[in-house]
Amino acid sequence: MYKLLLIPLMMVVWMLLHVLQLDEEMAIQTLFHSKHAVNRAAHAAAQQLDSQELAGGRIVIDRQEATEAATDYMRYNLGLNEAGEPLPGSLLSAEPEIVVFDIIDGDTSFPYRYRSEAHQFEVTLQGPGVVIIALFRYPRAFTVLEPIEWKVKGVAELLPG
Amino acid sequence: MKSLLAFVLMSAMMCWFMFAPIYKHVFIVRQAVLQKEVDYLLEVGASGERGYISEAMVEQSRARLAELGMKPELLVYELASTSGQPADNPEAPLQRGTGLMLTIRYPYERLLEIDRLIGLEPPSPDSLMGARGLKMSEYMR
Repeated sequence: MYKLLLIPLMMVVWMLLHVLQLDEEMAIQTLFHSKHAVNRAAHAAAQQLDSQELAGGRIVIDRQEATEAATDYMRYNLGLNEAGEPLPGSLLSAEPEIVVFDIIDGDTSFPYRYRSEAHQFEVTLQGPGVVIIALFRYPRAFTVLEPIEWKVKGVAELLPG
Repeated sequence: MKSLLAFVLMSAMMCWFMFAPIYKHVFIVRQAVLQKEVDYLLEVGASGERGYISEAMVEQSRARLAELGMKPELLVYELASTSGQPADNPEAPLQRGTGLMLTIRYPYERLLEIDRLIGLEPPSPDSLMGARGLKMSEYMR
């Protein structure tokens, strides 16, 4: 009779292990997905040149358009709708929080060393560029896993050619 | 007799416990492979060299996925651009500033069929899983 007890007990342990593994696999997936989304958002933002300034011979990134492009690209890649809510099949449950959105252009001399002590981030830019750091929270499917947060960093620069 | 009865009662459950996680794993990996392929094609296609994802590139991608055990004829590639211009034409690449959108879909096949053992209805074999991405083209000429 004790075997009847043992089997359900084993099943619970077994199930916990599987659930933990599946959730960890999905977490890694979500991290890669987020990194690509942030990269593409920075990449799109870095290409929004202000054409009036360009006519005057200065390479300046249009703040407004860069922000819009970054938001649009980020949302599409993460499967969020225009209000930032997840569409069916999205890996996230809410929109990531943009912690840093820095545009480096204009009178800066290049190569430029970008440094953020607060986020332990350092990068050298060879041309005008955009730095995005976004805070992602992984929506755990099961509570076996500890809560996970990532600060995903992405940089893109605009180089001639 | 009692243990035999217990075994019969538990066998379906045991089968599910032993094998279902493996199918779930295969499902996650397939999804990941599709996403990787989307990322790769966008990286290459939206670069300054191209600005398009041509028919030939899609064929090569099908061959790569076939090597990983997917049926190439079942893969569905959806290409679009943010300007509405076709994104698969090497003669007219997408200019810098236009986004290149790619979605790859693949049927679930009978991957989650084992869930029937515990009374869950799996998604129909024809319904599609998918991975998508959008990247701005860098092409300029």
